[in-house]
Amino acid sequence: MIVSFPNMGYSWPAFKTLIECMGVKVVLPDPTNREAVKIGVKYSPEFVCFPFKATLGDFVSAIKKGADTLVMAIDCGPCRFGFYHAVQERILHDMGYKDVRVIPLDQADLLEFKWVKTLFEVTPTKNLFLYTKAVKAVQYFIKKTKYIDDISTAEGLIRCYERNKGDTTRVVKKLLIKLDETNKINELRKFKSVITNEFKKIDIDRSRNPLKVALSGEIHITLEPNDNLDIRRKLGEMGVQLYQNLSVYDWVIHKFHLNYHRKWLEYLARPYMPMDIGGEAVWVIGEYIDRARSGFDGFIHAYPFTCMPEISARTIITNVLHKKYDLPIIYFSFDEHAAESGFRTRLEAFVDLIQGRREQKKHKKEIKLEEKSKEPLYEIHGGSLYNNIVQFIQTG
Amino acid sequence: MVQVNEKIHVSKDGKRDSYLGIDVGSVTLKFVLMDNDQRVLSNVFLRNQGSPIDSVKLGMAEMRSKIEKNPELQEYAIRACGTTGSARYLTKAVVGGDLAKTEIIAHAVATQSMYPDVRTILEIGGQDSKIIILRDGIIVDFAMNSVCAAGTGSFLDHQATRLNIPIEDFGDYAVNSKNPASIAGRCTVFAESDMIHKQNAGYSKEDIIAGLCDSLVRNYLNNLSKGKDLEEPIVFQGGVSSNKGIIKSFERHLGCKITVPGGGLNVLMGALGMAILSREYYINNEIDTVFRGLRMTDIDFRTRTFNCGDCPNNCSIVECSIVETNEVIARWGSRCGKWEVF
Repeated sequence: MIVSFPNMGYSWPAFKTLIECMGVKVVLPDPTNREAVKIGVKYSPEFVCFPFKATLGDFVSAIKKGADTLVMAIDCGPCRFGFYHAVQERILHDMGYKDVRVIPLDQADLLEFKWVKTLFEVTPTKNLFLYTKAVKAVQYFIKKTKYIDDISTAEGLIRCYERNKGDTTRVVKKLLIKLDETNKINELRKFKSVITNEFKKIDIDRSRNPLKVALSGEIHITLEPNDNLDIRRKLGEMGVQLYQNLSVYDWVIHKFHLNYHRKWLEYLARPYMPMDIGGEAVWVIGEYIDRARSGFDGFIHAYPFTCMPEISARTIITNVLHKKYDLPIIYFSFDEHAAESGFRTRLEAFVDLIQGRREQKKHKKEIKLEEKSKEPLYEIHGGSLYNNIVQFIQTG
Repeated sequence: MVQVNEKIHVSKDGKRDSYLGIDVGSVTLKFVLMDNDQRVLSNVFLRNQGSPIDSVKLGMAEMRSKIEKNPELQEYAIRACGTTGSARYLTKAVVGGDLAKTEIIAHAVATQSMYPDVRTILEIGGQDSKIIILRDGIIVDFAMNSVCAAGTGSFLDHQATRLNIPIEDFGDYAVNSKNPASIAGRCTVFAESDMIHKQNAGYSKEDIIAGLCDSLVRNYLNNLSKGKDLEEPIVFQGGVSSNKGIIKSFERHLGCKITVPGGGLNVLMGALGMAILSREYYINNEIDTVFRGLRMTDIDFRTRTFNCGDCPNNCSIVECSIVETNEVIARWGSRCGKWEVF
């Protein structure tokens, strides 16, 4: 049995560990590319959202590499995401891949422990040691997702300062491969210092005063660089400091009911959207308010074309919140298109817009460590590593 | 002959400063030569000729001939050059521009220089349409059509050909209508089938065209002005603003007066904005221009494409180089940014 799963940005080392710890072989699909998207679009229903098409393309690419069991997350939430694995399995069968199974990884509420069933389902041998294996798998998975979150946090903070274009991208790639190779608990515990040390090697220009922009939106689109036309890198290279709460770690912890930051965002969003309507709608609204209060320069909302929950959030933001909080926001709806010029024009114009606003307001508040205590209740970002990186940028 | 001089010669050559703005849009190409007092000295307005490189060369040749014919213009030297439009980076590389900015900024800057208290800018071009909201002199919001080219000049152009009337007369027909036909505005596919139906039902050309203008305006407002307050004064520019029917239709829908920059400037606003930005750049930075000069028409550029092949994406990379020196001036097309030279 060879297991595979779709691409979602940097998260592949974590999912790989989760399944490898159960003693199963894993193949990774190729990074989402034109070919995969073409196949995905060809065999998908036309009106389904882009993540469905992209992941279907990933599945086909994994099957061609030898995978026979595919894991797909499901969420019995309000949007159609809950049915994706079943529809995709049928499509794959119709395409002629008869022996392929798509196993759902139920993440509606991780405390229901339905995911244990999935882990056992992908494991061919059944014995008593399976439970210890599962504990180890989950422990490694959570540790690795945390480090991936740290890497992307540091990436967003540092890229706008780099002197040689492309340094940060190289460091991130190197760290992900290193993280994938680290499979001992002792080494894994020390991995945070590896991350900080690697990032401290980057030659940075401390005199810059970058714009602070938050990125949020649907999780697959915001995390997968091949689907969102590499928005994180483009913004960083335009000199924008990027903050992104959204990550697999953030999501997993939320589903274990331990993510108090998300609870805080839900609290902020409650007057406008009292319940989870699917996607990231509630948290996008909460984050918009949170970012506006903590003095950000701009906000980017990315979502797949035809995503109902995100469009609801968008409407609430444009009609109510934008007028109230006055934080510039730009929306990007992504689909299979690859033409970058319109996307780039809007992105550049947005950066010019927030630059102009900043110059007018002379509002040049930099993040300082002592100022953080005055900011809202919950830290914006991943704890000690965030502080290390900010300190490194400020003092060296 | 206008020459590009190095900074050292600026005082020596005794020539007056001028700035060149280039706007390479999807359908047309605009050049504006501006002096220090924001006076337009000369301009070029052309339809695109296939590749942006060819069109820019053609435009530059026309600019050159205009300058050579006019002795007054020969007192000026181009101090800086800026490019905008969808092909701004390629154009910048080809002509040796000093800066490339988006159309949104260029339009806003140009409009503000003519109407300092403008609060809303409507712009409809050949392939795209924009709305720019300004408050107290800065851009606070903008929108650009992202997924659909409905409600742009190309559609009107196509329909004018179908109705067999020249696009220049389109506006006059619309203004003469007493009772505009109702035509679906959501999608141009619906609009076209509605039009054919109305044509066959015997409506007059004037009424159909006026209905078309209405539907285009409705489509534009629905698509772009979602949740935005369109406040007066409103300035309307871009190629479609030459069309009287659309102006009238906008006035009817928005219930206020629409200003259109006069003197043929309505289509040149992007290029004018770039000229103004180039002047700011020149004054603030005191850097020598890298502009190749009007003689760039004599340089041969070669473009070639190759496939990267380093990952399954297999992006095709476009490379533009100067034939004589084999110097690569621009390379783009990769998704990961690996080969990019701008």
